[in-house]
Amino acid sequence: MRNLLNFILRYSTWFVFLFYVLLSCVLIFSNSLYRQSIYLTSANSVSSTLNSGVGEVTGYFALKSRNASLEQRVARLEAEVLNSRRQIAAYRAVLADSLGTNADMKSYRFDYIMAPVITSSTHRKRNYITVEKGTADGVRPGMGVVDHNGLVGVVNVVGPHTARIISVLNDAQKFSVKLKGTDFVGTLVWKGNDPHVAYVEEIPRHVRCHLGDSIVTSGFSTSFPGGIPVGIVMAQVRGDDDNYFTLKVRLASDLGNLRSVSIIRDIYAAELDTLANYDLK
Amino acid sequence: MNRTIFTTALLFIALLLLQVLVCNHIVLFGAAVPFIFIYFIVRQPISMSTNLLLTLSFLLGLGVDLFSDTAGMNALACTVLAVCKKKVFFSFVQKDDFSVTFTPGIASMGFGAYFRYLFSMVAIYCVLIFSIEYFSFSDVKEIILKASASCVLTTALLLAVDSLAFSKREKRL
Repeated sequence: MRNLLNFILRYSTWFVFLFYVLLSCVLIFSNSLYRQSIYLTSANSVSSTLNSGVGEVTGYFALKSRNASLEQRVARLEAEVLNSRRQIAAYRAVLADSLGTNADMKSYRFDYIMAPVITSSTHRKRNYITVEKGTADGVRPGMGVVDHNGLVGVVNVVGPHTARIISVLNDAQKFSVKLKGTDFVGTLVWKGNDPHVAYVEEIPRHVRCHLGDSIVTSGFSTSFPGGIPVGIVMAQVRGDDDNYFTLKVRLASDLGNLRSVSIIRDIYAAELDTLANYDLK
Repeated sequence: MNRTIFTTALLFIALLLLQVLVCNHIVLFGAAVPFIFIYFIVRQPISMSTNLLLTLSFLLGLGVDLFSDTAGMNALACTVLAVCKKKVFFSFVQKDDFSVTFTPGIASMGFGAYFRYLFSMVAIYCVLIFSIEYFSFSDVKEIILKASASCVLTTALLLAVDSLAFSKREKRL
């Protein structure tokens, strides 16, 4: 026993070293995306408080360009609203009976929660975004996140007042997307390096697609409604498999310059999940 | 003794905050990230027990991890760096002109030796952290690019910190 103690004391440095190395390896490799403690993420209360303090100051930096892009967006939406109103009015004139007077106002399936961004990164291999909304505001893991330009990510870990979002710029997270105007669904992946470029994989070979075509969300999940802009096709590259090809896509949202995002709440989410798991029970 | 503990704690907290609140948001050309906080490991006295240095380094790395969503990566790299520290130091300084309360610095080592020591430590850290982050041979090009860019930036920043913060006090000693 004494020999053992002597041995341990003599080589204590090695034991301490091995202990810390093992501990950090456990942290690194147990870091499965969905089972993570809130305390180990940037959404914990200490880091989010400190970081939001910094955000108070830096939030003013890119205000001018953000304002311009928001104004553009507002103008586009205004035009869309006017057009839709006119269309609805025209349809009502034709089919007055079958369309109730307020039928179009009743059923909103998706609801948006605005959330200020505390931190975000784009230079790592796995990038995350922390926002200042949590369970108290109705945010739940798995909800989709967009900004005014398009797809941003999906909610991962949620605390009472903060949440961590897995960014599109994260090689461990994939998104279901499709070519706008068609039903050809592919997988959006990010392969590192450029925060503006991602790839859409598994598009069948026979699909005709052109440079400048839009990629939008497929709507095959409860996270995102279909048709949210994701990006624009830049090039067509050879995939790993000869039966499919891969599209190089310029992402619509500027993830390096996020100040606030909208978290999408699907009112039917709980219902759809129970249906999907019905057989399993 | 109390004063040493106090200044060490202050340096620890100051560097941690500087790293997570400022330096983490600076990324030059999408590749060069300044790792200011390893200055803490670089500047600890050689006489400090390795166990203590390992513990402090691990905690420092863990602190940075908690802020930047890199669970365990910086902690691992810091621990390995702390264990390498003595070896690196003695490869640039003769064992016989070394006193017990020796703190690595420009004043105590001379600029040449200190620069080589600092550069080696930063280089080890940068290679470690990017290898851990990418963790695959297919990304070797990326790792080398990011590690060398970050290494140059960090070394330059740390030399600047040295000339600002510590030069006056040490010359008086």
